[in-house]
Amino acid sequence: MKLYEFEGLRILSKVGIETPFFVMTSDLDAVKQARKRLKFPIVAKVQVLSGNRGRRGGVKVCTTEKQLTAFAREHLGKEFNGEQVRFIALAEKVDIESEYYISITYDTALKIPFLLFSQKGGVDIEEVKKANPEAIIRIDFDPLAGPIKKDLEKIFRGSTPNRGRTPKEDRLIDFILRLWDAFWRYDCRLIEVNPLALRRAQSKRGSVNGEFDYVAVDAKIILDDAGLARHRDLDVLSKGAISAIPSQRELAAKKIDEEDYRGSAGSTFIELDGSPRGEAGDIAILASGGGASLLVMDAVIASGGRPANYTEYSGNPSREKVEKLTQVTLSRKGLSGCLVAGAVANFTDIYETLSGFVQGLGQIKPKPDYPIVIRRGGPRQKEAYEMLRRVAKKEEYDIHLFGPETPISVACKKMVELSNQFKVQSAKFKVNGKK
Amino acid sequence: MAILVNRETRILIQGITGKSGMQVTSELLDYGTRVVSGVTPGKGGQEVDTVPVFNSVSEALREAGPVDVAMIYVPPLASYEAAVEAIEVQIPLVHIFVEKMPVFDTARVIAHASQKNVRVLGPASVGAISPGEGKIGSVGGPAPDAVFSKGPVGIISKSGGMCSELGLLVTNGGFGQSTVVGIGGDLLVGTTFVDLLLEFEKDSQTKVVVAFGEVGGSAEVEAAKVIEEGKFTKPFIVFLAGKFAEKLPHDTALGHAGAIVGLEATMEQKIKILKNSGAIVAENFEDIPKLIKKVL
Repeated sequence: MKLYEFEGLRILSKVGIETPFFVMTSDLDAVKQARKRLKFPIVAKVQVLSGNRGRRGGVKVCTTEKQLTAFAREHLGKEFNGEQVRFIALAEKVDIESEYYISITYDTALKIPFLLFSQKGGVDIEEVKKANPEAIIRIDFDPLAGPIKKDLEKIFRGSTPNRGRTPKEDRLIDFILRLWDAFWRYDCRLIEVNPLALRRAQSKRGSVNGEFDYVAVDAKIILDDAGLARHRDLDVLSKGAISAIPSQRELAAKKIDEEDYRGSAGSTFIELDGSPRGEAGDIAILASGGGASLLVMDAVIASGGRPANYTEYSGNPSREKVEKLTQVTLSRKGLSGCLVAGAVANFTDIYETLSGFVQGLGQIKPKPDYPIVIRRGGPRQKEAYEMLRRVAKKEEYDIHLFGPETPISVACKKMVELSNQFKVQSAKFKVNGKK
Repeated sequence: MAILVNRETRILIQGITGKSGMQVTSELLDYGTRVVSGVTPGKGGQEVDTVPVFNSVSEALREAGPVDVAMIYVPPLASYEAAVEAIEVQIPLVHIFVEKMPVFDTARVIAHASQKNVRVLGPASVGAISPGEGKIGSVGGPAPDAVFSKGPVGIISKSGGMCSELGLLVTNGGFGQSTVVGIGGDLLVGTTFVDLLLEFEKDSQTKVVVAFGEVGGSAEVEAAKVIEEGKFTKPFIVFLAGKFAEKLPHDTALGHAGAIVGLEATMEQKIKILKNSGAIVAENFEDIPKLIKKVL
């Protein structure tokens, strides 16, 4: 789960990392109130999940109330790079001496966490990699031991002529150790601070005393979804699969798995409704399996169909989980087909899961009259199909069944054809109805 | 010959008294695989399908004899400790079936394992089957013979479902399999495409390897590297799924935790790198048997 900047900064504060003082606002009244707690200049930052916020005008240093109100009015509740802005953070301005970049994430080939530190902060790391690769230091971590202080000292102090106490470097090493603490303690997949600011520390009387400290001016954190189960106390907002604000269906689908770890259904639900991104579709997808679901989506699109969503259930989820996911998926209006497809299952009970599908289907109002294509194989598939035939006859569902002898892509193609026919027929019906 | 599992393989199951633990035990016994012991702390002295249950791994080894594989069927947040218990006593292969294991736990398990010279398969791995020989994990479920058959094709997939789907496709195309391995779709996995290619290279039964690749991650790119370096010399056929996701914004996560849009190479880059290395990229999934025929 990707976090907002302010959620990330709060996590960093928990491990003792310095962050700028900020106040969160979600309406103009709050902006007015917050203004009283801050001195100008105030840095106003829209809270969105997409990158390059600064370059797109989402960050503004305001020196007057007028500027601040104008910025808030321009962005609050409005769309920014395809995302609705729910919050603006108002932060104190940090006097930056120099800017750096720092991040910790996993190397999937070496299977270890590693740190990147760049002398060039405030710019996209990918650009630095191209233009100034020598400015980047990479340090690999043993996940069992974490960063070793002595090694860090060697790396960051080794080259300085003065081998004695160098407060600046010590502060940086302290920052890295704390960043690592946040990384593993909160099960992060990525933690990135850009810019990391070196600030001349001020004494209480405001005079500069030559000391430095490091401040995380920004924070980008992606949490490991599998780790969320042990951070129930973590105060973060639910996020959509694509945009920051989840659709009702995305939220409802995610909830299904939260209560029971056995088998997954709906952990990943992507609403493809044409907004803010992605094309709108009309074929509901209930795919099975992380791999097969990709194949199914590709095959539907290759046949000219447009999926209304992406979701999958796998790992032998209970009947109830599939029932809930079916309800969530088919609650979408304007569908012209429903595709239940997956590979030949190893240990997922097809009878149980498809019984869940039928239970969910039975609760959809109005009763679905669009074609339903099912392609599955695996344990108890034959029993499941007998049950489906009975239900289809009784309830007059337009169900088309395919077993493992039919390739997934053929079933997907059939779905698209049936859905097209359905659309033509309902259009005709509408025209005739008018007459 | 086959890889990872054969007729002689001896297995211990951690979490054997749970629902999926009991189910996999009976499936393995039905297939003729030797399940010699099981572990569930606090349930020592019980039996599951004639397999004795012990309170700890070391007790199980002492009482029921050594094993080649430990299979982990416990809840996600308990899997770290279970895996470390098996690694500490150096069981050569630790198979983690568990899904939704936190990535930090996985990283630590892999680090432990490399210190102890233990191979980890998974997490979220469906297992491995050498048709007609033996199997580990839940691959093929209760009826593996319905999809798998013995022969010269090695199969690798992150996805468990696609292991069976590929097995069926290849079997229906008239070819059997040496070993079919589901490596799991998580961000980090103990055994990668590359590790298996190197095993398949040594295996005389395997004449060609087929893999199901996905959007995100670097597994296919790493595989291309070992082909280019001449470390894997047999024909390698790969199909890539998830093209639709390239239109979605970066960082969008799909069903597999490792299938993340924009993570490392794009689909187009993967295809190019694979083709340049000499790998055969299957345009359509159903073309795979035809491609096997061509290279055999």
